[in-house]
Amino acid sequence: MIEKLKKLAKEYLVSGKVEVIFGLREKDNHLAPHIFTKVEELDSLVVSPQYPLFYTCRPSKKNIIRLIEEKYPDIKIGVIVKGCEERALIELAKRNQIEMKNIEILGVACSREEAVECKCPRPYPNHPLLGEKVEGVFEDKNIEGLLNKGWSERLAFWQSQLSKCIKCYGCRNACPLCFCQDCAMEQELWSKIGEIPPEIPMFHFIRFYHLADRCIECGECEKACPMDIPLLTISKQVRKDVKELFNYESGLDVKQESPLLTTLDEMPMKEGANE
Amino acid sequence: MKEFEPKIIGFCCNWCTYAGADLAGVSRLQMPPDFRMIRVMCSGTIDPLFVMEAFQKGADGIFIGGCHIGDCHYQTGNHRTKKRVAILKKILSYLGIDPRRVRLEWVSAAEGQKFAEVVTDFVAEIKRLGPNPLKRKFEA
Repeated sequence: MIEKLKKLAKEYLVSGKVEVIFGLREKDNHLAPHIFTKVEELDSLVVSPQYPLFYTCRPSKKNIIRLIEEKYPDIKIGVIVKGCEERALIELAKRNQIEMKNIEILGVACSREEAVECKCPRPYPNHPLLGEKVEGVFEDKNIEGLLNKGWSERLAFWQSQLSKCIKCYGCRNACPLCFCQDCAMEQELWSKIGEIPPEIPMFHFIRFYHLADRCIECGECEKACPMDIPLLTISKQVRKDVKELFNYESGLDVKQESPLLTTLDEMPMKEGANE
Repeated sequence: MKEFEPKIIGFCCNWCTYAGADLAGVSRLQMPPDFRMIRVMCSGTIDPLFVMEAFQKGADGIFIGGCHIGDCHYQTGNHRTKKRVAILKKILSYLGIDPRRVRLEWVSAAEGQKFAEVVTDFVAEIKRLGPNPLKRKFEA
């Protein structure tokens, strides 16, 4: 499949449909995002679900795509994306973090094995050029166990999990949708600076709530966590709830506005949702 | 053993619920004294982080009062409150905090009677639920 993708990318580049290709490159056994400008370079192109393509660059808090766009406002960029990355692009465009007009999406679907590994519910982009749309993973072993338990057991579980936190901010830094200029997780107001573990569950609650309508379930937070805190468990469940309450899913359509930004008339809630 | 006296924080909107509370007071309606009120300009200002912070600092229950849908002084502030609180309650429930500790009610300036009833009912419910589990961890 990767050979097909290389061929396709070369065609895009040669025909002038795009001027550069943005994707992962393998060099000296290391994978990193790269801007391909020459056809020969594309031989080292790879696709891997283990390595993210987009991230928010610090300290500018701008997505890498935005930085490319700012530096070269007139070039057409072909971006090789997996399902999660396409959702990130769409969600970023929706929130005015990037512009889609110069972006050409080359979508690649992941295999079922890769989806299982990532716990991905939608391992394919909207219009995959390569690969088949396979079924995603919806269940999560943590939440299934927790939903059958009482409040105190759930609290005890999260207290033991979250107290492992070393406050490295890895979850936030890895998240493609964490782009706030002033991150609430860094503010003394909400969580004391210089304390480990941070206030539980306040510190993590900030992310869970702020990502409620943004999370695209790429799982980068959980992959980045050095202490293996199951952060995706709650984000996954909240995303499910947002879908049930507001019939909204993030990252599928640029035109679909987040329910937290609209009134009840435009995006009515299900009856009894308040109870 | 001393009876459990809960601490309840009430975020009340300036235009409706706060005036409703005022009316309840002026009308000399009986209410339990466990309620501490914070006046905000609109229920739409209430960030769920405020609620979490209050729990973290030891509040046993959080009451959020706003205008009825359609009556908001700022047109659609309370639409957002309703959506936010729905998500907030879900996250609280997964984290192991009983979502019944948060209550969102619409109380207009004319509903002093309703305000007294809601507060009495909420205090009784929090007494039934017991102290905030986050606070208990601190004291142990």
